[in-house]
Amino acid sequence: MNNEFQLEMKNIRKSYGNIKSLRGVDLQIKPGEVLGLVGDNGAGKSTLMKVLSGVVIPDEGEFYYEGKKVKVDSPRTAKNLHIETVFQDLSLCDTLSVANNMFLGREPTKFVGGIIDQKVLHAKSREQLNRLGIDISSTRLAVENMSGGQRQAVAIARAMLFQPKVLILDEPTAALGVKEVDMVLKLIKNVKEKGVSVVLITHRLQDLFEVCDRIMVLNEGKCIDDRPMDQYTLETLIKSIMGSPERTNAS
Amino acid sequence: MSAEQNVYISGRIKQESHLKKFIRENTSVISIFGVLFVVSIFFSSVTNSFLTVNNFTNLIIQIAPNIIVAVAMTFVITTGGIDLSVGSTLALASALAATLLSAGVNGLLTLAIVLLAGVSIGTINGYIIAYHNIPPLITTLAAMMYIRGIALLVTGGYSVAISGQTWLVQLGRGRLLGVPIAVMVAVIIAGMGLVALKYTSFGNYVTGIGANEEAVRRTGVPTRKVKIWTYILTGSAAALGGLIIAARLGSGSSNIGNTFELDIIAAVVLGGTALFGGAGTIIGTIIGVALIGIIQNGLMLMHVSPFIIQIIEGFVLLLAVFINVKFFSNKK
Ligand SMILES: Nc1ncnc2c1ncn2[C@@H]1O[C@H](COP(=O)(O)OP(=O)(O)O)[C@@H](O)[C@H]1O
Ligand SMILES: [Mg+2]
Repeated sequence: MNNEFQLEMKNIRKSYGNIKSLRGVDLQIKPGEVLGLVGDNGAGKSTLMKVLSGVVIPDEGEFYYEGKKVKVDSPRTAKNLHIETVFQDLSLCDTLSVANNMFLGREPTKFVGGIIDQKVLHAKSREQLNRLGIDISSTRLAVENMSGGQRQAVAIARAMLFQPKVLILDEPTAALGVKEVDMVLKLIKNVKEKGVSVVLITHRLQDLFEVCDRIMVLNEGKCIDDRPMDQYTLETLIKSIMGSPERTNAS
Repeated sequence: MSAEQNVYISGRIKQESHLKKFIRENTSVISIFGVLFVVSIFFSSVTNSFLTVNNFTNLIIQIAPNIIVAVAMTFVITTGGIDLSVGSTLALASALAATLLSAGVNGLLTLAIVLLAGVSIGTINGYIIAYHNIPPLITTLAAMMYIRGIALLVTGGYSVAISGQTWLVQLGRGRLLGVPIAVMVAVIIAGMGLVALKYTSFGNYVTGIGANEEAVRRTGVPTRKVKIWTYILTGSAAALGGLIIAARLGSGSSNIGNTFELDIIAAVVLGGTALFGGAGTIIGTIIGVALIGIIQNGLMLMHVSPFIIQIIEGFVLLLAVFINVKFFSNKK
């Protein structure tokens, strides 16, 4: 199909019983592009991102990756396409350690029988936390008693571990303090430089204006606005989120 | 606002979590070990026969099958599941082994058939639970009934003597370098279980599934397969246990292992494995099995009526669950 897109989704539909969460959504993203995804609570943002990461199977819709039609029918296939996600609920296992959470499903092993190479596991986790400037005293700690910010940081560190080509961040800054939010925004700019496509969901509009190239607005399972960043003002963006987008040339 | 506060006090949270981790991983094991010690001292002082080499040997031979099954059960419970069918599987395995051997089937083939039966039972249980989301309690309760029924059908309700000579009886009676072979098998399985639960990817998935199954699934781990494997472990462990018991007794019976599953579950939760999953300990399980074995053994030596022993056991199970839920559970 169109080779300039890193990935393209067409006509994605998903219903839960009577609830139509996604009613035919299209989404394209180029390499190195940061796409903001906004909309009211319940608009379908998280569902769309779950479809993108293979966690939810859509009822209908097509998926193109680097121009080729693909089937993303499991979390594994999405990972194989280098699509990494920080889920809104973080998806951490409370009783597992920081390192085990970060490498869950991709543990470095040695010998036979999948024995985890503890040394490599903890060294790599530590290295990653340090690289991202995350302050966690030991990678052996269970995540259950950590602060919301630390848990979120662990989830972000995990998503960054295996060189994503598409990075999905579903409200990654909800539990973060000012300093950590800055860290995440820097991280987004950083990976963008390397050609990574980023989808950012957030309610912090100032963050969108700082890092996004384009913003897509969802409303009741449909895309109602999709424009380059420079065509939005704070005011027009808010109007869009409220469900009544202005025409582009009006601003 | 509260998020910043959280980050601010994170230093203290870290320390608490060190302590909590230490408590979870060790104190449950240490305290149950303490109980084991006290109970042993009690039985040593009220009976003459408890603290003897003979009784100790008897005891470890007695609990060897329990350790094998309890190690497997630790995996199932750590995922948040339960397997009530192990007692019936034990009986079926013993009945099947005795019947096959008496019919002249050789040892190796008998071993293979009995283990295959255990694997099949586990696969069926696991498949229903993992792929059809039927609660493990109901699935394995049903299995407990129909497997016992099959065992009764195999033997016609009688006990079947193992006739003829076969090396397979060594599994229950033999010794190697003075150590009972059944105990050796139990020790090897416990060792493998310990490594598998604590130091392998599989063990991580088992623990992770008990803590947050959806999170594990989202990382691309085939969680349903992992769950099936845990039931295959209990199924085959129970089959091996039944084989060992039949070999030891020299006969197979469809009536053994009534309430065996409850002994096993009590041992596992006594040991500190979280009843609702997310945290498991093999060391704790082994001590739990030993404790329950010692209580049964000691009370018997004291000539306490079997009816009263059953009452006491019921309360031990209740206490185990109570302590587990109140103090060691991860569910808040
Ligand atoms: N697993 C589910 N079962 C039933 N309804 C769901 C499920 N997931 C999402 N929904 C519904 O789909 C709609 C969109 O939800 P979501 O994608 O989480 O919205 P957002 O992330 O934009 O707040 C909501 O009405 C929500 O209740
Ligand atoms: Mg959401």
